[in-house]
Amino acid sequence: MLKIRNLQKTYGNYHALNGLDMDIREGTLFGFVGPNGAGKTTTIKIMTGLLRPDGGTVEIDGTDVLKHPGSLKDRIGYVPDYFGVYDNLKVSEYMEFFAACCGLEGLVARRRCHTLLEQVGLDSKIDSYVDSLSRGMKQRLGLARALIHDPSLLIMDEPTIGLDPRTRLEFRETVKELNEQGRTILISSHLLSDLSQLCSDIGIIEGGKMILTGTMEEITDRIHTSKPVVITIQENMPAALKLLKEHPLVRSISVKENDILVEFSGTGREESMLLTGLVEAGVMVRGFVREPGSLESVFMQLTSHEEERVVLSYEDESGL
Amino acid sequence: MKTNPVYRREIMVSARSFRLALILMVFNGILALVALLNMYSTLAQVRLTAEVQYTSFLDLYLFVAGLEFVMLIGVMPAITAGSISGERERQTLEILMATRLTSAQIVCGKLTAALSTMALLIASSFPILAMMFVYGGVTARDICLLLLCYVAAAWLAGSLGIFCSSICRRTTTSTVTAYAVMGVMVLGTYGVNQFAYYMSGMRAAGYLAAAPQSSGGFLYLMLMNPASTFLLMISRLTGREQVSANVAGWFGNHGGGVIFSHWILFSIIIQVLLALLLVAGAVRVLERRRT
Repeated sequence: MLKIRNLQKTYGNYHALNGLDMDIREGTLFGFVGPNGAGKTTTIKIMTGLLRPDGGTVEIDGTDVLKHPGSLKDRIGYVPDYFGVYDNLKVSEYMEFFAACCGLEGLVARRRCHTLLEQVGLDSKIDSYVDSLSRGMKQRLGLARALIHDPSLLIMDEPTIGLDPRTRLEFRETVKELNEQGRTILISSHLLSDLSQLCSDIGIIEGGKMILTGTMEEITDRIHTSKPVVITIQENMPAALKLLKEHPLVRSISVKENDILVEFSGTGREESMLLTGLVEAGVMVRGFVREPGSLESVFMQLTSHEEERVVLSYEDESGL
Repeated sequence: MKTNPVYRREIMVSARSFRLALILMVFNGILALVALLNMYSTLAQVRLTAEVQYTSFLDLYLFVAGLEFVMLIGVMPAITAGSISGERERQTLEILMATRLTSAQIVCGKLTAALSTMALLIASSFPILAMMFVYGGVTARDICLLLLCYVAAAWLAGSLGIFCSSICRRTTTSTVTAYAVMGVMVLGTYGVNQFAYYMSGMRAAGYLAAAPQSSGGFLYLMLMNPASTFLLMISRLTGREQVSANVAGWFGNHGGGVIFSHWILFSIIIQVLLALLLVAGAVRVLERRRT
């Protein structure tokens, strides 16, 4: 669907994008995560044709859209992190104006506007003035506007910023529905909890480069394996340590009283086999648990201090 | 043919706003008041002296046309100076640029909408101007020439406003810049010529008393001054003075030539060219935002 290769953008001496690669599969809901200044908005602006890159390619369905900007605008719907509404325009007029901007006129435009307003739950507000709408409604109107030309990829830059929890939930549901209808969506957000519940794929950007990307399952696995397994031994500590030292998936071991902290790069099944092996070796195991991880913790590890990056290099070693 | 969506939206919003109705009322109210008072005084004089002063109708025409021109170049930058910066302030510019609209369509839509508003102001004042026809003295051709002058000046002032709006982030800065540049074009060019004329007079008095005094090449700067073009056209319409005589009166004797004999035409062409350059500049500025 979308393929970005070696995207470069420099502002003076500052490298906003430093060879960014990104792939978005058709029908996915892609969460685009990164700290402030990581290059999210620059990437989005290039993808929407609002900014020209210094180098690299952006392909949508095999077409290099940087060389064909018209094609880019037809294929992408953009919801920015602000509302951008006009005073003195009714909801229907606002929609029809943007329909005309996208080349839709007359009855076709009116029908399309009505369908979209219905889809985002604003059909009852069709004759209201845009500036009288609440923030949540304005955001949903922005969503309907971005879909006016039926784009194949919908890009949303921090769409839930400034919304109250209920409105955020409603907005999330609307986005989910759109994705279920087969639309490919990219959401950039700092609200990682939102993304983890919503997205099927995640990409983490830092320093203008994509540092981690994959499906939610892949990312969850990485989170899982990056956390140590805590084994509490009741009896026979030496046998337990001997077995662990010889195990090929064990990266490191540290002992604290009766607890052994094991960096274990295996899957859930391999964890079970390790536990069975310990029991069979005559070790009395009182506790066997892997610390729960979260998307937030991975994000913090990947985008903050060096010592926390050990986990990342460990992941790289594990070949995941 | 599809209408430019930006133009259509601007016109719809402007027609709906109370501001336009107010501007129309105040603008035509002032014109009508002046015209009726003038007519009343002329007729009162007729009752007293039994003599009709036809020149007073001509004066009235000059006054109304002049007032209209001043309001035109005064209002036009204010209307257009917020066109692009206003979109930026409302955070709608990027959304617009993410659609299939080109930068040229956005700029042209804004400019034509502003020109339409001006056309409405001018057309609405025609009944008042037509009062002069009652007693004769002004022909339909004169009105058409006047209209041409208005269109060129409005186009220039509007394009200047749009250009300033595209380079300035805030509408306030854009408006101030547009008026400052318009001031330079109207008063600045006049001032430069006056200064050059004065200096020429000083030189002549000091060294060569018989040398002709004039502002020299600076006079051609007046070609981009819409106010001087309007004044020259009005003078010609009333048949009071020829263009070259007027110019000579202002800044000394420059002799003759093609430009002098077709001064108004050349001036209008230069104003239109300047307007086109400013529009192209505004489009370019919008395009450069992408890099």
